[in-house]
Amino acid sequence: MLPSCLVLLPTLGLLGSHPSPLRPLADERTPGAIETADSSEPQGPDRIWVHADRLIVRPGEELENASLLIEDGVIVRVGPDVEAPEGARRIEGRVVCAGFVDGWSTLGIEPAGVRDQSALAATRSLDGFDPFRSPEDREIALRAGVTSERIQVGAIAAIGGIGSVVRTELGDRPEVVADEACVAATVGITRGGRAVGVFDRVSEVDRLVAQLQKGASYRKSELKYRDSLEEWQEAIAKKREELEDDFKKAKKKRDKDVAEAEEKGKEYKEKRYKEDKKPKKPRWDPNVEVLARVTDGEIPLAVEAHRVPELRGLLEKTTGFDRLRLVVLGGSEAGFLADELAERHIPVMLWPTPDRSGRPEMARASLELAGELAEAGVEVLIGSGGSANAGSLRLLAAAAVGHGLDRDAALSAITLGPARAFDVADRIGSLEPGKDADLLVLDGDPLDTTAPIRFVLSHGRVVVEP
Amino acid sequence: MTLPTKYTASSRFSRRSRRDGASQLGFADMKRIHTLFRALGVGLALAAPLSAGPATSSDKLVIEAGRIITMAGDDIEDGVIVIENGRITQVGTADEVEKPWDAPVLGGPDFVAFPGFIEAHTSRGMDRANENIDVAPFLDVADSIDPIAYYFEDCLRYGVTTANVQHGPACVIGAQGRIVRPVGMTIEEMTLRPRFGLKISVIPKQGKSRATQMQALRQTFEGLRRYLEDLVEKERDERGYAEREALFQGRELDEEEKEGRAMEGVAWKVDGLEIIPRGAIDEKQAPLLDLVEGRRAVFISCASPVDIGHALELARDNGFLARTTLVITPGCFKAADEIAEAGVPVVLDGGLVWRERDPRTGEEEETFVPKVLADKGIRFALSSENPSQHSLWYQAALAVGYGLDREEALAAVTTTPAEILGLGDQLGSIEPGKLGNVLLLSGDPLSITSWVERVVIEGREVYDRNTDIRNKQLLDGTQPFGTQASVGEPGDDDAADDGEGE
Repeated sequence: MLPSCLVLLPTLGLLGSHPSPLRPLADERTPGAIETADSSEPQGPDRIWVHADRLIVRPGEELENASLLIEDGVIVRVGPDVEAPEGARRIEGRVVCAGFVDGWSTLGIEPAGVRDQSALAATRSLDGFDPFRSPEDREIALRAGVTSERIQVGAIAAIGGIGSVVRTELGDRPEVVADEACVAATVGITRGGRAVGVFDRVSEVDRLVAQLQKGASYRKSELKYRDSLEEWQEAIAKKREELEDDFKKAKKKRDKDVAEAEEKGKEYKEKRYKEDKKPKKPRWDPNVEVLARVTDGEIPLAVEAHRVPELRGLLEKTTGFDRLRLVVLGGSEAGFLADELAERHIPVMLWPTPDRSGRPEMARASLELAGELAEAGVEVLIGSGGSANAGSLRLLAAAAVGHGLDRDAALSAITLGPARAFDVADRIGSLEPGKDADLLVLDGDPLDTTAPIRFVLSHGRVVVEP
Repeated sequence: MTLPTKYTASSRFSRRSRRDGASQLGFADMKRIHTLFRALGVGLALAAPLSAGPATSSDKLVIEAGRIITMAGDDIEDGVIVIENGRITQVGTADEVEKPWDAPVLGGPDFVAFPGFIEAHTSRGMDRANENIDVAPFLDVADSIDPIAYYFEDCLRYGVTTANVQHGPACVIGAQGRIVRPVGMTIEEMTLRPRFGLKISVIPKQGKSRATQMQALRQTFEGLRRYLEDLVEKERDERGYAEREALFQGRELDEEEKEGRAMEGVAWKVDGLEIIPRGAIDEKQAPLLDLVEGRRAVFISCASPVDIGHALELARDNGFLARTTLVITPGCFKAADEIAEAGVPVVLDGGLVWRERDPRTGEEEETFVPKVLADKGIRFALSSENPSQHSLWYQAALAVGYGLDREEALAAVTTTPAEILGLGDQLGSIEPGKLGNVLLLSGDPLSITSWVERVVIEGREVYDRNTDIRNKQLLDGTQPFGTQASVGEPGDDDAADDGEGE
């Protein structure tokens, strides 16, 4: 149990007549233990009916006066004529939209894990995740509408390991949406207060590309080994059959030869037996194996790069990997390369913050960048810059709107966009039937920071309510 | 399990300082009695075991006590314990027990007899508790244990008769441990169970974070699996080749194939391992294979509640959950539900109380951890391995002071650690059949004014407070022979520190 958390809840006025809404008990999720609305104490209804004057199904697609029905944490129906079934909990509000997704966060990762520069490609972010640490940060994020985030260990390491998408919801174990959401890397960023010169920055790109190359050739040698092994096995099986067939002959010949040798007083010498050598197995390397999957496009590669030399280097040197799925993080000077980014469909995750202290690589970032990139056709994503401050996400998106980003693009940048970039769009990011019910009930537009968030639902559980 | 014959604690003390001329009871007495019997030629049957030498394990000992706290049922008033050949043969009241006529008698009505305390896990008594290599299961703590470490001397002074010495927590996979008695001048003499247990730490080693620590741990077991698979594959290839060559040469293959045994892993297995003789497995991998097969106890160090999940996941994934003991710091109590669900025992290391300040209200919250563990039904042992390094009796007494049930507190330093060490049928209580590890105390084991007067390990008196020179020095302020005169007043500074009584 988390005593510190229990102490906190009353101070935030979260403990009403209901048991702590932020910490659902495990058995609340099983249908058997669930009480329906007509019971005196509604605990964890398995059916929730949400009605809104304005229901934002996905950025750009809205329904007026519509409802959606949630069953066991999953959205089952969305539409203007979805009726509330009997016993379902009813939630009504002005605006309903999908929960925000912070695609660039370290919330819940222990500080040593964030700083860990010894991380390798196969290091798992979930191992660095500590659900017992600073529950108050998670609570702030949840109340600010961030229902899930991509978390990352080794945020400043050259290669930071496998990032995961988890829910913000509090609990003793992480609520995992996607275990392997991306592999993270950084080039040319300030590490431990030391700025990197331009040549070093470019050679950092080279090192990253060399690693990818290693991964690609590992995959190639793996495939080659598999093929040649099959061939060898076939050849050997055939050879054995032949040898078995010829055994009697060989035995006769041997007996004869042995007898002959004995007659001459010599020792019988066996002939040399030759067969095809078994192909050599490639040496197992878990880190290179992960990079192989990255170059194969199985896992996206999220690279933090800010300035033109490293961005250009990255774009130029990765053209050879045609299945690689790049996501650029930071991209402070990405405006200069907007056309190429748009052409190659590389999303750019921005951190549109006015506070750039201690980050010389961000010196030329502007708040207008999001709008400019979107104008050029680049998919813009917005994240909290690899901090634990996921609660700032809505403010950042609103700031981008204030500086020229389209409202729908901004909403997409903190919902469906990151969900798509990290392969979780089948579960979160929009309000379509079949997806997990991660949603917000607000008093106004999601990007109007003056509109209070009334309800937050995480996987169908009401985790914030008035 | 034979006990050292020559070196006792008292002789060890005297090695460092001049032998105190006062009563050297126990061994000397027994020797004298034996010699006397032999001189008198008392019966051949008796002479035979005695002729094996003075002070062999065929000795008998009778312990009398005003009260015996057996830790197995009710206390016995005015009781007698008979130890023969190192084991307890009889326990009961003076009327019930048939005392062997030829056995020396120890104790008296003023003493309280109590089973020897058991240290379930410690990294003390070693020259160096940690090791630089991340994964070092081929190492043995025996190479680091220092028989004349003050720790072992203190063990006797505080009535600890068994200690499980394990590698320190600064590792990924550490050395193989060892259960020792705190008596003897060589490791062999001290050893009760060699190569017992293995240390795993989910606490990040220096230069690592939890993520990289777990990565190293997972990859070690993944590496083991691949190593074994490769071994099997190589052997199969070689046999296939040999068969084909024989066919080609026209000869029969009559070589006997070497056979090992099939793998018995709970969580995962490598098919065909039976064709590999166990001796062929690398010494780095063999202890890990023991783990996966559930043949070896493992002590997993955890420093934070998140570590509990990591440790249990690792144990489940690799099939050694049933042999796992978690060595936890007090803060880990937050994951008590997980521990209870897994059903693993814990050794509480690093204090009994968890204090936490709320980051917003500044209110301090105090949690007495043993109570939480007891309420959740978690089996736990207390440990002296904690910032105060006070011995087990003190930890147990403190726990009672905080409101833990007396029986539970005493069990946490006797029977539970015995079970954790897999020696539940050998140690932990005063019962017939168990090893004769008995303390004679001047009062209740949890009283601050009680002294450990005598310590008997496997029927042999190994400590007598009257001959404990360091203790004497502390009490009357004398300076032991051969040591430099200290500047301060006798009895000040460190003396005051340790003077909390026994």
